[in-house]
Amino acid sequence: MDDSPPPPPNDAPDTQTPPPPQQTSIHTGSPTDFLKGVVGKKVIVRLNSGVDYRGVLSCLDGYMNIALEQTEEHVEGNVTNRYGDAFIRGNNVLYISAAEAI
Amino acid sequence: MDGSSTGIQEPLDLIRLSLSERVFVKLRGDREMTGILHAYDGHMNLILSDVEEKIMIVNEGEQATVSVAKRKMDMLFVRGDGVILVSPPSRT
Repeated sequence: MDDSPPPPPNDAPDTQTPPPPQQTSIHTGSPTDFLKGVVGKKVIVRLNSGVDYRGVLSCLDGYMNIALEQTEEHVEGNVTNRYGDAFIRGNNVLYISAAEAI
Repeated sequence: MDGSSTGIQEPLDLIRLSLSERVFVKLRGDREMTGILHAYDGHMNLILSDVEEKIMIVNEGEQATVSVAKRKMDMLFVRGDGVILVSPPSRT
């Protein structure tokens, strides 16, 4: 009696199935979601002084202290220093910009 | 959460791994220094030894030039709020 297969709940086999939604849409998330999304990605960190640091964000904490890898220091568009690792004290940070797709 | 293979979970780990190593420190007021890191805390107060400080001084004039003053200190306490950046020696 109940061996007839139940109909699939959402069958539209001949219409094109929409792509699955992007996991945890970063564009509508909170600032914290953004920061979680850019860990491990290339970022540009601008300090209040106007100096930029471009590198791979390894981690950050609640003070916005930042650990960067493969860091280049840019002053007025010129590379002025390179660091393998760099710790940036959070109070100096103006913004963190994603430098690659997140 | 780890963007690297070095096992860094929070930024202060970078400093912890640099204890007893020579670090580069960039400070407010166009100052930079290198020294052996002996101690630090959450404010980024630092104890450094065998320190060489470089002070960049901009000379106003026709063409602004930058001169560098250097000085050495055997042992130094750096107040954390002056710290902009700390870079450990590049480990390979």
